[in-house]
Amino acid sequence: MSIHYVLILNRQGKTRLSRWYDKTYSRGAQNKSITEIHRLVSSRDSKHQSNFIEYQEKKLVYRRYAGLYFIMSIDINDSELAYLESLHFFVEILDVYFDNVCELDLVFNFYKLYAILDEVYLGGEIHEVSKSRILARLTELDRLE
Amino acid sequence: MASLKTFIKAVRKAKTIADERNVVKKESASIRTSFKDVNLDQNTRRVNISKLLYLYIIGEKTHFGQVECIKLLASPKFIDKRLGYLATMLLLDENQEVLTLLTNSLDNDMKHTNHYVVAQALCCLGNIASLELSRDLYQNVEKLMQSKNAYLKKKATIVASKLIDKNPDLLEFFVGFIPTLITDKSQGVLLASLKLIQSCFNSVEETDRFNLPNTYTTLIGHLKKLITSGYNPDYDVLGINDPFLIINLISTLRLLSTVPDLPAKNLEMLNDVLTQICSNIEIGKNVNHAVLYECIKTIFSINSDQSLKILGINLLGKFLSTKDNNTKYVALNTLLTVVNIEPNAVQRHRSIIVSCLSDGDISIRRRSLELSFAILNESNIRILIKEIVNYLKTTDDNDLKPYIISQLILSIEKFSPNDNWKFDNLIKVLNYSDNHVQIDYISNILSLVIRLTATDLKKSILLKMFKLNYENDNMNKNKLGLALTTVWCLGEYFELINNEHIEINDEKVLVNDEKVLEYFKILSNNSNYSIGETNQLTSYIINSLIKLSNKFSNNSSLNQIKLLLESHANSSDLEIQIRSVEYLQILTQDSKLRKGLLSKMPAPKLKKKEMLTLNDSTNKRSTPTPKSHSDNRVALENDLLDFNDDVEKKPEVVIKNDLLSDIFSNSKSTSANPRAHNDILDLFDAPTVSHTAPTSVPVAEELIIYTDANIVIKFLPKSVGNGFAQIESHIQSKTSQAITNFQLLIAVPKSQKLTISTNNLVNLVSPSDVIVQNIKLTGKEGSKVKFRIKFNYHLNGKLVEHMFDYSLKQNL
Repeated sequence: MSIHYVLILNRQGKTRLSRWYDKTYSRGAQNKSITEIHRLVSSRDSKHQSNFIEYQEKKLVYRRYAGLYFIMSIDINDSELAYLESLHFFVEILDVYFDNVCELDLVFNFYKLYAILDEVYLGGEIHEVSKSRILARLTELDRLE
Repeated sequence: MASLKTFIKAVRKAKTIADERNVVKKESASIRTSFKDVNLDQNTRRVNISKLLYLYIIGEKTHFGQVECIKLLASPKFIDKRLGYLATMLLLDENQEVLTLLTNSLDNDMKHTNHYVVAQALCCLGNIASLELSRDLYQNVEKLMQSKNAYLKKKATIVASKLIDKNPDLLEFFVGFIPTLITDKSQGVLLASLKLIQSCFNSVEETDRFNLPNTYTTLIGHLKKLITSGYNPDYDVLGINDPFLIINLISTLRLLSTVPDLPAKNLEMLNDVLTQICSNIEIGKNVNHAVLYECIKTIFSINSDQSLKILGINLLGKFLSTKDNNTKYVALNTLLTVVNIEPNAVQRHRSIIVSCLSDGDISIRRRSLELSFAILNESNIRILIKEIVNYLKTTDDNDLKPYIISQLILSIEKFSPNDNWKFDNLIKVLNYSDNHVQIDYISNILSLVIRLTATDLKKSILLKMFKLNYENDNMNKNKLGLALTTVWCLGEYFELINNEHIEINDEKVLVNDEKVLEYFKILSNNSNYSIGETNQLTSYIINSLIKLSNKFSNNSSLNQIKLLLESHANSSDLEIQIRSVEYLQILTQDSKLRKGLLSKMPAPKLKKKEMLTLNDSTNKRSTPTPKSHSDNRVALENDLLDFNDDVEKKPEVVIKNDLLSDIFSNSKSTSANPRAHNDILDLFDAPTVSHTAPTSVPVAEELIIYTDANIVIKFLPKSVGNGFAQIESHIQSKTSQAITNFQLLIAVPKSQKLTISTNNLVNLVSPSDVIVQNIKLTGKEGSKVKFRIKFNYHLNGKLVEHMFDYSLKQNL
């Protein structure tokens, strides 16, 4: 019922974010999955193929934004369309927060990236869907530092 | 010490992998050293941990920093806490003892006056949610769920649901909050409480679900209000008001509707609101589809109105006609699950389903293919088979071909309107299936041909296949299925097409014995086949040849048959070699005997094959389900040499077998025991090798000759040698379920004689039950002991069968 993990990979397969809500993956299994997922996702044709891949008895919902793949793993029976929409929601927030987000923003500010992710998803559940609220909170958090 | 930025830049600057490793190694070592310093100040610690996080993200080892993370989050400074919590969530997994160190900090921070600090702690607890943490900290969560701050209330509610997922015992502490939570003014709290409802629902026993707070009506009320309320800039997504909340409300209601005694009133309310949503949201954007899709899923999971079901299927039809692959994908997936509930409604979208066969996306093609087979019936077979055959013709997806071919053959067999059409299409399938048709299905087609009574049709089939095979571009291609079928039919029915004319590449050609032999030679010289394929083909050819020896009158042709057989008598494939030698023997027999031997094959029983499903979710290739021969427990001979069972065996041989054994055996009456069907395997056995007579060795070593999830078969050789072997077989059950009607069948080479005692038991109920049977074997001294063993039994009312070969290390 919830997200198993969220990944952001670039086209070369470098990880920019990985958050594993499902704790059954060992570190080795995580790295192995990331390699396999990158291979799967990067070989797909975005124009002619869906944004869903069945992988390890689960489903990957992914979307490419410029040179980055945003990927999440959900249960087979969960609604791909809804999660795809939430992925887009997350990216929209990144875009506003970093003011036209690019890969380098995420590389150098990875801890902020995680903070934003945690404002949208908690324990693999989407828990805030108001852009303005999340952005207001992020500003507040930055002010506290 | 360098800053995080400098470190990231250094890693990025590395030109080679070795360079990068160097930078990483160096930094890693210096971080490690700094952690050893007991007086490490928090600022340095924070910088180091941020670097450690970067190492984590790029997949490096970070285990050495775990305690440091917890030290960092204990700092009073917010900037330290924030990074400390992030690092803790990423670097720690729930199995680590370090987690106990965390409990105290979490406890403190959840009582902190700054609600951003509390939120950090909640987030950490929700993401890790280990069993131990859940036990120690659930009371803090309980308190926070009553907070006046919606931000914390919302997070605490989600955390509560996560704790229940992990530890269902905690349900009683949280379930009482549900009624107030779902009336909360905050949208975020409502969203979170839906998750709590789901977690509670999923963690109680089905029978206790009625004890959960009744939220149905309230949730329906929320849903109604959402879909009728106006624009709300905070939650609007492209014109849909708060789609995420709508989706979560619907999915929660769907879950709550799965209780067996759902009041009719509730169902009616849900039906109404779903109808309203489905008719108000237009097809177009992903977000619209996401909401509609949630409705559709619900429609088919609850016992909804017929009209609503039709509405749902029509929406799926609309989904299919969009250009968006994602929408098509979910539509096909859903149609696959509802095709059994509403076959007729799905039928109406046939043309769209079929059009998806030419989609650019393989997963869409696969699903539409599966769906096409699912909706196939007598009335649409002509059009659907045409489309699927076209697909087979053009697809490059070799993994999928065995599935398509077998499904096509089964469907054509099952639904065809008439024989003409049936064979027309079967030949088409064979022609386009290259080498991907499984041998079982060739047997199927052959037995269909045998059963055909109309000679005219047989003749036209044969001519058509011969022509197809002969057409130039086919001869050099791999068309194993078509070739095997044609070769077999030529052997069986050559006389039907003898002296007929066919057009091959616009040239009139006379079909006669020379032409057939020429065809065989061309086939044999086709180097495109693998060794296995060539052997298969050769087996068919030599069988066809021996049959043809009775049909050809021309001496030179007969001589050619002999030469061809002789050429295979040295084949490196044992099977082909033996068969060729035997056939050469048959050639020397007088014509009357040969006529009897080589007479037409009677129609075998048709095997029922189950329709397959493409199990795409696991990406497995489709393989046929184990065949079940539940009805015909025929004699062992037939079973062992079953028409369909073994790739190596050729159809004719089955029938000729007994006749052949009459010629070659010494006397048939030696086999007194009805169970010892010694005569059946003679043809398949290697010539026995003579050794200098070994003395009889008593052996008591237990041999496990077969084992699977259910049973184990052991052999206890009592004595082997001097041309005599005595073995005890022990069969035991490995499952807790009862195994009934166990039957063990054993065959040995013709040159040996086997007796088996009747079994003491037929049912294995407890693990201590053992079926004991004595096996006695006599034969030539020094010959090998080879068994073909077959067993069958019932488990859960299902017949389980298996056959395998086993040979003893010792010779007789």
